[in-house]
Amino acid sequence: MKLFSKLLISAALGLSIAHTASAQEVIKLGISAPMSGSAAVWGLGMDWAAKQAADQVNKSGGVTVGGKKYKFEIVTYDNKYNAAEGTKVAQNLVNRDKIKYIVGGIGTAPIQALQSLSEKNNVIIFISAWGKSLKGKEFPLTFTQSNTPFEILGPLYKYVLAKHANVKTVALINANDASGKEVELVSQQVWADLGVKVISSSFYERGTTQFQPIAAKLTEQKPDAIDMGVAPPADAGMILKELGVLGWNGVKVLPVGTSATQLVQIGGDAANGTYMGYAGDYASSLATPMQQDLNKGMLANFKEPLNPLQVSSYDSVMALKAAMETSNSLDPKVIAQTLPKIIFETSYGKTVFGSEAIYGVPQQMQVPIMITQVQDGKMVELARVIPEELKTRLAAGK
Amino acid sequence: MALFVQLLLNTLQISASYILFSLGLTLIFGVMKVINFAHGEFFGLCLLLISVLVPLLTANQLPLASAYALAAIVAMIATLILGAVLYQFAFKKFQRDMIGSFVMSVGLSLLLEGLFLQFFGGVPVKLPDLIPGNIRFLGGAITTQRLVLTGVSIVIAISMCWLIASTKLGKALRAVAEDYEAATLQGIPYRRIALYGFLLATFLAAIAGALLSPLTVISASVGSDYLMKGFIAIVIGGLGSIPGSIIGSVLIAVIESVGGYYFDPSWATLGMFVITMLVLLIRPKGIMGNG
Repeated sequence: MKLFSKLLISAALGLSIAHTASAQEVIKLGISAPMSGSAAVWGLGMDWAAKQAADQVNKSGGVTVGGKKYKFEIVTYDNKYNAAEGTKVAQNLVNRDKIKYIVGGIGTAPIQALQSLSEKNNVIIFISAWGKSLKGKEFPLTFTQSNTPFEILGPLYKYVLAKHANVKTVALINANDASGKEVELVSQQVWADLGVKVISSSFYERGTTQFQPIAAKLTEQKPDAIDMGVAPPADAGMILKELGVLGWNGVKVLPVGTSATQLVQIGGDAANGTYMGYAGDYASSLATPMQQDLNKGMLANFKEPLNPLQVSSYDSVMALKAAMETSNSLDPKVIAQTLPKIIFETSYGKTVFGSEAIYGVPQQMQVPIMITQVQDGKMVELARVIPEELKTRLAAGK
Repeated sequence: MALFVQLLLNTLQISASYILFSLGLTLIFGVMKVINFAHGEFFGLCLLLISVLVPLLTANQLPLASAYALAAIVAMIATLILGAVLYQFAFKKFQRDMIGSFVMSVGLSLLLEGLFLQFFGGVPVKLPDLIPGNIRFLGGAITTQRLVLTGVSIVIAISMCWLIASTKLGKALRAVAEDYEAATLQGIPYRRIALYGFLLATFLAAIAGALLSPLTVISASVGSDYLMKGFIAIVIGGLGSIPGSIIGSVLIAVIESVGGYYFDPSWATLGMFVITMLVLLIRPKGIMGNG
């Protein structure tokens, strides 16, 4: 009987060890993004792009660390673009699922919630949130994998002013949350630096269903331009539609505009002429073959073209793989120290982390700034600006 | 003058949306003393089904107006079926139980929203305009279809007031709302009247969904987005009161439209909560509340 018990215990232990070994071969990568509501298309696309990257890594043999092969698996939760849901998602990812690598995060407020847990629990996070306060020396494990207002607004507004020299006044509208508040400050500063007077700045609540009063307020002082800040495509589409009803036809700027599809579907003809700073034509010859493939996949799955926010999760998966293999470590701290030192492959080609001059730490992925415009219901890429730091680093080869 | 007209038009069209939504919400409370947080999901289901059916039908060469009509009929029937099922298996057991019904309906709302997200996806959809064009009036502007919606809402609100005040069903609903024990003693079949009241409220949510389908951005969470404003409207107007829900809806539309213009859209939302608190402090049962 004793022998039987010993055998049983040994078998159970053996099974348990085998199970652990098997579980260790999968590295879970988390995402906190809006999967429902007006910004859902961003989260759905980000989840999809990350899964494409994980599939690609897995099919090519996985990630090799310490002579051992690992596979990536993506785990995504809906943060509904608000702090309350973002907190729940953060708890799920960090405390419940024990995930050590977050490859995508959207929304400043949900990311602040995530960051409150990630840094102290040794979790590395790659985010697309626009808040400047999310980066810095106090957040050594936080990296931004797509452009933010500090990279976008200057080139975008300059381009708009070059095309519309008559723009002397602008009215701002932003969502009333952490993203909106932080971006509004940067927008005010950049417009003022360029000699444009900000004649009004308003905030609206996410989840707003009636946009007529917002349109009436925006057109109140007859601005030459209206800057819709961080309004997601569905909200921006409704604002544009109501502006059209009121007969306003000035210069429209949507820095966070990620594609024309939803903007045109909702805003109709009123969406034409809108300048965007966060979209790219990934079907054009300017895009890499990988981006063209991803773009086709997005169109097939979501009837939306790929945008920089969505592709950013693909790029962070690739950055993570490169840093894991270079450092030969799975420790998030070691990976975080390695990332700023390496040149790695992304959907854009080779790139680096940098922007220490702006943020005090080199934790901003260097990717092109693409200025686009809605023309006849379609998005047209007008200019593509390669960051100077990226050019220098690639030329130096380090 | 132009500004006054524009603010008036904005108030009218916003009121119309909120009146349509809040009528059903207040009716359920009046009859069953149930705060139905799942009401938004009835509204949402109707909208989501229409958002799927209209493109499907127009792709099969059906004219847009016919596609809207057919989709609305199917969606309203489906919403009524959902309402009947939820009444039978959930709400029936929590009648006149404020706390129990509150917890149950919040749970149902979360469950349904999750199911909608699963089945319909999270990408927001905007259907094509049913009646294109804008109308300019004394310097103000409004889309033709919003003007039509405003007219239809007024007709529905008047019809509801008439139904409650003058028909046998309306009198039974009022009697049950006022004192259900006395009403039962007078021979009014409470359970049947509660079912009719619940289905009527669900039907109103479905009508609201059908009428707003060409106007609003449709997503799995659209019901929750409207629910908060609808709930504020009926709390201000008086829980259970049909005229109260109309007054509450108009009041929050005024705050949203006029307050949003003179101050800030986000301040207008705050203003709604402040007004709600003031109304509850001065008149705890709401403007038209009586029970």
